[in-house]
Amino acid sequence: MLRHFPIALVLWAAPLSAGAADEPDFSLVTAGGNLLQIHSELSPLAINRMHGWRLRLTTAGNIPLTGASIRVAGGMPDHDHGLPTEPEVTGESEPGVYRLEGLRFHMPGRWLLTFDIAIDGVADNASLEFEL
Amino acid sequence: MNKSILLIGSLAATAGLAALLVPPPLPERWSGSEAALIASLSLSALPPAPADPGNAVADDGIAAELGHRLFFDPRLSSNGAVSCASCHRPELDFSDGLPIAVGVGVGQRHTPGLIGLSHSPWFYWDGRRDSQWAQALAPLETHFEQGAGRGAIVRLLAEDDEYRRLYSALFGDLPEHLPDPGQIPRQASPLGDEAAKAHWRQLDPGLRLAVNTAFANAGKALAAYQRKLRPGRARFDDYADAVGAAGPNAAARQGELLSRDEIAGLKLFIGEAQCVNCHNGPLFTNHDFHNTGILAPPGRMPSMGRFDGVREARENPFNCLGEFSDADAGQCAELRFAKDDKELAGAHKTPGLRNATRTAPYMHTGRMESLAEVLRHYNEAPVAMLGHNEAKPLGLSRRELRELEAFLRSLEAPPAIARQWLEPP
Repeated sequence: MLRHFPIALVLWAAPLSAGAADEPDFSLVTAGGNLLQIHSELSPLAINRMHGWRLRLTTAGNIPLTGASIRVAGGMPDHDHGLPTEPEVTGESEPGVYRLEGLRFHMPGRWLLTFDIAIDGVADNASLEFEL
Repeated sequence: MNKSILLIGSLAATAGLAALLVPPPLPERWSGSEAALIASLSLSALPPAPADPGNAVADDGIAAELGHRLFFDPRLSSNGAVSCASCHRPELDFSDGLPIAVGVGVGQRHTPGLIGLSHSPWFYWDGRRDSQWAQALAPLETHFEQGAGRGAIVRLLAEDDEYRRLYSALFGDLPEHLPDPGQIPRQASPLGDEAAKAHWRQLDPGLRLAVNTAFANAGKALAAYQRKLRPGRARFDDYADAVGAAGPNAAARQGELLSRDEIAGLKLFIGEAQCVNCHNGPLFTNHDFHNTGILAPPGRMPSMGRFDGVREARENPFNCLGEFSDADAGQCAELRFAKDDKELAGAHKTPGLRNATRTAPYMHTGRMESLAEVLRHYNEAPVAMLGHNEAKPLGLSRRELRELEAFLRSLEAPPAIARQWLEPP
């Protein structure tokens, strides 16, 4: 019975540690097998509001990937236009955590974003599709 | 055989006629997502106007009073006859009813209304200013609008007793910065003709800074006044609130708050006609820029729209990042992350639709005389003269276009503006 206690503790701890503040809005696996977790300042996402995202980039084994360059592009494929702003990664606030600023979505519908990532000169990428 | 053909032919003709004359049934109920979308368009969902970090007096009562006086004052023009209110007429929802604005001279674009505009992050059809206060400064000096040099504006602030009193209460003693306003040539402006520019260059740099500061403050007061110009509740808002309160499977009729055609138009607006893609939120605009294939006036090149506008906004000394702004750089996200791309060629700002029925003519060119004409344009989605038309042909029937127009009428309402702000002080 005692041997099972730590397991039960982990099960309880998981939702607590992954509370509203830390629960990613989106989790992606990059083409290179890394993890990209997206935390939006504006959650749930809404149209017409300028905001930023926190991007957490790690290996599959949860080791932070520091010093990466991340470029974001995208748009609405169904409407044949790009993003209404030019969002930019403006810094790495802690190891593997990057601040993406300047996001605003101006139409309801299907959005597609691509993340072009370079880690120590090695290219990686991920894409995100969501509906607003 | 011939009889059969005749019978089939007459049946088809009858069906065609019925489609024209007999309205299709209304939706019995709105789906959960439709109800949520309709509720999101209600004025009840409109938050207070966002703060303007570049304007420290944006919500100051004295600033609104000063701005109110300036707005209606024709002395702020080269001929002493044109005020902001000459084109932004309160009785026309602060538009002018003309295809192209006429100030001191004839302008280049249609005058937009001002109600609810303080919710927008960008100003002008092409978004060439990033705040309401920076926008307010431009017509004062544009030669075909008010055409007054900033020298004249600042002289007026310094020499008129009431202006000097209000200005000093807000921004500190004007004479302290401009001990001898009389030495500033009225014409002086870096944007005027050669004579105006020469007067401007002759001013001491410290005096130029003092003039620019006082000029910027006049814009901030004008913006404070314009933040009082709020839209009023329309019949549609009561309907949208009722639908929103009923939630998923809300009955479409909702106590006959809207007519049959208005409800059918709403269904099209949020659905097949795709209007809500850009005309979204409680002001029916996403405040962004789109190319919808509006033709240029005959003999004129089409406007580059936002493609040029964003560059001008970046270079404007009165922008959010400039020395006359009260904002920190971190508060200027719209300007810092503004898109600058060839996709913006020919893109113009989405206007709001509240009271659109009362603000004809339409579009930045002012060339469409009626909403029916606007709706026909979107139904056809012609090829753009510049860039590409984001809209696609809709294939709506004449009845459906009339229903959309009926829906737009349900957005009519007197503005929610205290009477004092609608009249000269």
